[in-house]
Amino acid sequence: MVTVASQQSQYLDRASSSALVDVVDLILDKGLVIDVYVRVSLVGIEILTIDARIVVASVDTYLRFAEATNRLDLARSGTETKGLPGLMDEIQEGGGRKKTKGALEGVKDTVSDLLQGDDEADESDDEAGEREEARRGESGDRPRHRRSSSRERER
Amino acid sequence: MAEDGRGCYVYGVVPDDRSDDAVKDLGAVGDPDAAVTLVLHGGQAAVVSEVPLDKPLGTPEDLRAHARVLDSLAAKSSPVLPFRFGTVVRDTTAVTGELLREGHDDFARALDRLRGRSQFTLRARYVQDVVLREVLTEQPEAVRLREELQGLPEEAGYDQRIQLGQLVMDAIAAKRALDVLEVDRRLGPCVLASISTEPSSAEGLVNASFLVEDDRRTAFEQAAEELGKRWDGRVKIRLLGPLAPYDFVADAMSPAKDPAEEGD
Repeated sequence: MVTVASQQSQYLDRASSSALVDVVDLILDKGLVIDVYVRVSLVGIEILTIDARIVVASVDTYLRFAEATNRLDLARSGTETKGLPGLMDEIQEGGGRKKTKGALEGVKDTVSDLLQGDDEADESDDEAGEREEARRGESGDRPRHRRSSSRERER
Repeated sequence: MAEDGRGCYVYGVVPDDRSDDAVKDLGAVGDPDAAVTLVLHGGQAAVVSEVPLDKPLGTPEDLRAHARVLDSLAAKSSPVLPFRFGTVVRDTTAVTGELLREGHDDFARALDRLRGRSQFTLRARYVQDVVLREVLTEQPEAVRLREELQGLPEEAGYDQRIQLGQLVMDAIAAKRALDVLEVDRRLGPCVLASISTEPSSAEGLVNASFLVEDDRRTAFEQAAEELGKRWDGRVKIRLLGPLAPYDFVADAMSPAKDPAEEGD
């Protein structure tokens, strides 16, 4: 393996995840936009953007928290339920396409939107990972329209 | 390359003493079969691969490939200067003749500032039921509203539900403000710089990146581990890294700023 073994961790999740949400959070809108610093002719190449949005209206969130608090079984303890119902529903991966000049500027807004949903999304990393795997079989040059979410059932 | 519809995808820049062993077979952006190679010039190396120009970039696998190449290099040793996803130049001649030649001094400064340093990213979120129990224990008003609601049909309790939800979220926000201080107190002494984004999600506690010096790495990881232990069952913490310094490279390139406010 290429990676240096990390020290064993009992209380932290150290798994290097390849879940899309992790990667998007880490790299998109990050890194050097080189033609800001360096005179270089970049080749324009079409970039598919991940049009991911999460809309958490405050009233909706209050209602969901109230619901979550209400269904807490106080006699029971320590069992974690799934995250707030429905919060993931709004994350949608669309197929925004942008012609950029090399460096990816176009995704700024959509990415910051996605980051807001990051914590919920973490929870479904495994599912997301599997879905991505499944979709990889599709032709790579089409925008992605759907993100089937197992959470939709919770609605 | 450009003539046959292929360009040169650039992942980033490393010192030229690095080997391509860590990356050559990882799978390239835009073409999983293309080799990831190093193009050397003036003591620096650009990490590149051939990329077809007739196909848009940005599939999940493209994004993963970009991160995988840079993080594999970072895991072996620093410094690594990550470029933004989607950086493509004409061919390797443009890499040596334009990119590395024109950028040499700026890259040299950034490489120098990031030598022996890498990024760790920490994401923490509350375990929902546990934090809700805390709120109910600490807020008699929440308990009262909850009891009131349990006798009411759904439509009748709308206002109370809004009130309860708001109260609970405010209580969690107050916890977050305190807990973020605890994260800073424990991790701050082990890092050179940090950047955090406000977790606007309901259960998010912290989402932060840290620039950590190699010889402080063990101390940092231990501090994070202790934090995880302290909050075991209450907060879920993920620690990613060592990573390429995605969040710190721009400051390292800037003539004025240094991410660690030292090192020049």
